[in-house]
Amino acid sequence: MNAWLVTALVLMPCALGPCVWVACRGPAAQRLAGANLATVLTTVLFLLLAQGFGRTSYVDLALVLAVLAPAGTLVFTRLLAADPGEARTAPQADGERS
Amino acid sequence: MSIRHVIALVLLVAGTAVLLVSACALLVLPHPYARLHALAPATSLGAPLIALALAVDTGPGRAAVKLLAIGALLALSGPITTMAIGRVTFATDPGHPEEADT
Repeated sequence: MNAWLVTALVLMPCALGPCVWVACRGPAAQRLAGANLATVLTTVLFLLLAQGFGRTSYVDLALVLAVLAPAGTLVFTRLLAADPGEARTAPQADGERS
Repeated sequence: MSIRHVIALVLLVAGTAVLLVSACALLVLPHPYARLHALAPATSLGAPLIALALAVDTGPGRAAVKLLAIGALLALSGPITTMAIGRVTFATDPGHPEEADT
């Protein structure tokens, strides 16, 4: 048990817990803030666990997550922003109200 | 315990404290726009500090450069995703801030 594993043990419930709690409540756009912070924390946890267990090849996992997590968040924002845009433009295109 | 290990531990504790504070801020801040402020310290200060601590502990070499690159990647992507989430929050907000009464 070294300092890296102790830090990972502290961060998992105390920092990842609130993120999951926020990601489970409220409207979708506000859940996304919790999910985004959770991905950052997961990347940091992967780094800490790789150092704690002494397996440097596990760092690749954190590198992949650091590249893919922002892309995933941006995809989520595109999908969430599509709804009100369609709702605003659809009645004008059809010329009738739903 | 070498001086390098002490520096790494100090950086690690600082980064962990920043991450814990930003997680608590995400939970405590009431307004959706205020909640976006909780994302900034975690991505631009907390995660790079922990990556720096790991790089200092690893020592000079390719592994340290990779850890610093991951920290820089997190610091770079943080503001971009925060701006995107802010735009979505504004677009899906039924009463926009300038229309809604405080």
